[in-house]
Amino acid sequence: MSFHWESTVYAIVAFLILYWLLNKYAFGPLFSIMEKRRELVLEQMSAAETARKQAAVQMEEQKQALQEARKEAYDIIEKARATSAKQADDIVQTAKNEAGRLKEEAVRDIESEKGKAIASLRGEVAGMSVAIASKIIEKQIDEKSQEQLINQYLKEVGSK
Amino acid sequence: MHLFPVITIGGLNIDLSSFIAITVSAIITFVLARLAVRNLSVDKPGRLQNFMEWVAEFVHNTIASAMPLNKVKPFMSLGMTLIMFIFISNLLGLPFGIVTETHHVNETFGITQEVLDEHEGHAEIAWWKSPTADISVTAGLALIVFFLINFLGLKMNTKGYLKSYFEPYWFFFPLKLIEEIAKPLTLALRLYANIFAGEVLIATILMLGVIGTPFMILWQGFSLFVGAIQAFLFTILTMVYISHAIVSHHDEEHEH
Repeated sequence: MSFHWESTVYAIVAFLILYWLLNKYAFGPLFSIMEKRRELVLEQMSAAETARKQAAVQMEEQKQALQEARKEAYDIIEKARATSAKQADDIVQTAKNEAGRLKEEAVRDIESEKGKAIASLRGEVAGMSVAIASKIIEKQIDEKSQEQLINQYLKEVGSK
Repeated sequence: MHLFPVITIGGLNIDLSSFIAITVSAIITFVLARLAVRNLSVDKPGRLQNFMEWVAEFVHNTIASAMPLNKVKPFMSLGMTLIMFIFISNLLGLPFGIVTETHHVNETFGITQEVLDEHEGHAEIAWWKSPTADISVTAGLALIVFFLINFLGLKMNTKGYLKSYFEPYWFFFPLKLIEEIAKPLTLALRLYANIFAGEVLIATILMLGVIGTPFMILWQGFSLFVGAIQAFLFTILTMVYISHAIVSHHDEEHEH
């Protein structure tokens, strides 16, 4: 086995050419594809992270919205309750007022009827007195019988 | 032992078997790489692409173990070319051999009368072998590495590189010089010796005939293993040398 420097030179040349060819036609594209895949994975990971964050934010928002809706519903119920209570109070109050008014009216009616009755009685008494007087004058009865008569009539009136 | 066909063209002694082996190895490497990157896809890699990406990952990790991660990228192609070319070269001589026998003087292939006499009248010429089983070829690869590490050291880390010859004391210079020369020498000899020994043993087992079959199977498997290990070793040593040349210790301390 002898050393041939020509083989050495050829090996160097062949290796350099091979390196150049591989670098240009094989490894360059391969590395760029691997780099692209790395970027793709990174991108997907960051996208997933963003989506996760977004979901969390939306979740928070929805929670808040739900809380608000719940509060609103509570408020509405509270308000309705208050309104209904007030209304009931109002109705009762109105009814009470109405009853009072009716009662008062009735009392007034009674009073006026009573007054009217008394007035009409008085008128009757006056008429009766006139009739008595005329009867006395007609019959010319004595003082004693006259007095007796008046008393009798007055008694009649009193008993009426 | 076999002879190798050496022809003389214009005063150059050309070892045909080496030239054939180098050419075939380079072509196989290139075709394999081209096939792997034929239908490149980001999301649906084919099987060959997957394999090539696995090799790339492996080489990347190998280089990253030798130098800081941010300096790995420019040496990826070099590492992959080295490991693929050397691995394929190592395997080239394993499956078969092409040997012709000659009993006549054939000046074209360097079979002179003296050579014939030396081999008792019949010379066997081996046409096929691993290119890395030839020290001339491994020397070529080692020379590339030698020039590369010195060039990169001077270019990318001039001060640190030159200073490293005189560290820790100036009188270490001769020692460092020997070390620098030993680097390519050991690279070339280690690769050559491993693969050449493998092929010698294959040739020896062949002499055993049929009885040698189990040994042959065993040794072929082991040679496969050795070929892979040597390709890996050559690559990682190259990267370690490059790393030594371009990364000064001050830098390294800074980064860690």
